[in-house]
Amino acid sequence: MTRRVVITACSAITPIGYKKKDIIKSLREGRSGVKPLRDDGLLTDHIHSKVFGTVDYPIDYGFGRKDTKTMGPVAYYACQVAKDVLAASGLSQDFITSGRLGVSFSSTHGSPTIQRNIYKTFFGNLENGFSSIGAVDYLKSMVHTTAVNITRMFGITGRVIASSTACTTSSQSIGFGYEMVKYGMQDAMICGGADEYDTTTVAVFDNLLACSVDYNDTPECTPRPFDTNRDGLVVGEGGAAVLLEEYESAKARGANIIGEVIGFACNNNGGDLILPNLDGITSTLRLALQDAKCNPEDVDFISAHATATKMGDVIESQAIDQVYGSKPYVAGLKSYMGHTMGTCGAIEMILSLYMMEQGFLAPTLNLETIDERCAMLNHVPEVIETKTRIAAIQNFAFGGVNTCLLVRDV
Amino acid sequence: MTRENLEKNIVAILVDEFEFENPGLNDNLRDVHGFDSIDAIELLAKIEEMLGFQLSRKEKEQAMSIRTINDILDYIVSMQDAHKTD
Repeated sequence: MTRRVVITACSAITPIGYKKKDIIKSLREGRSGVKPLRDDGLLTDHIHSKVFGTVDYPIDYGFGRKDTKTMGPVAYYACQVAKDVLAASGLSQDFITSGRLGVSFSSTHGSPTIQRNIYKTFFGNLENGFSSIGAVDYLKSMVHTTAVNITRMFGITGRVIASSTACTTSSQSIGFGYEMVKYGMQDAMICGGADEYDTTTVAVFDNLLACSVDYNDTPECTPRPFDTNRDGLVVGEGGAAVLLEEYESAKARGANIIGEVIGFACNNNGGDLILPNLDGITSTLRLALQDAKCNPEDVDFISAHATATKMGDVIESQAIDQVYGSKPYVAGLKSYMGHTMGTCGAIEMILSLYMMEQGFLAPTLNLETIDERCAMLNHVPEVIETKTRIAAIQNFAFGGVNTCLLVRDV
Repeated sequence: MTRENLEKNIVAILVDEFEFENPGLNDNLRDVHGFDSIDAIELLAKIEEMLGFQLSRKEKEQAMSIRTINDILDYIVSMQDAHKTD
């Protein structure tokens, strides 16, 4: 027997805002969160891409040392959005610590800032004999640092899933959390992802010739998903969490039900670790529809992965065309903030939920001249006032991992 | 370093970096101030910096029985004495 899984709280720290009203305003007004790449004193001068999806507003964390002693920057984002969803949920402290609430949360690679500090400490202090690395640096930098700092801060004793799969990290987090609740392993899950400011990731994509470099002087004009003049992705930072709950208990306790996760699929291309794969992606989209027991024509809106790489957008367009045809609206929400890496799936789901609630769809920013190979889709040309009932959130990662989440208005 | 100076330094570290409020010399560190194993390891690193020499594994293990600030001070004094000839 399976159970319905609903979303009862969400929160996102994004380059276009933190609070719901700020994010909606940015989407409606076409405001970009892409800014000049901040200087890290190490790699910046060697990177061709000079743009970054930047969180540049103050956040009042209010965490004490008891919590922060095991937290790197990525865990600040993670714990803040987890704190938000727990506060908004109204769940009792007894339930939170009961073992029936779990955490499915991760990041691309823990905290690169702390990892860098470890090497600085190690190489910088070899000569004077004080080479000891901070005792908690591992806890701050390890790949599951976000998930376990959340459990620690709130006394959560349920399952921990820390799926770290680059760009599908948080979509997997949500998908695996959904399955935990759907199949009765947990009654609720805090799911999401976070990634901090990090130039290492920029350098990697830069070396792969996948980063945007032509708009360094006009950061807001990139990335440009589906546009003829797109020239690659823009790395970004952020954190996002959703609270998933079993429907009957959420309804019984009068929870605010934002939406329902009705389907999830995840597969692998089984080969190349970098190139997008049409068969793998198409298969994922179809598997998600099967899981949701709905037809392609039921889906109103697709939040495309759409990183603005030359090949990625074309292959994704072909996959959408094969599975859905030209009926659903399609937008690439990374156009507003760049690619927030391990966070992107959760952010894009939350933005989709906000738009569902508000009854509008935001267009793909910077989409001025549609690449003819992507032109068969039903692109959102400008802000459209329309009711979305079912949305698909698609994400694909290095390593050949593909995910698709389907959410429904409730 | 005299015990008086040590006390001043250790209390300052505990207040400034470990966020202790009104530390008493005989407070149980865990019960009163939430001082845990992570804090103990971090404090040992601070003590090494303060003393100017590295503690051995065995010496660090001895610190694990510390329960109060007075215990910390006793421990540092004994380490200072043990390393006098270093």
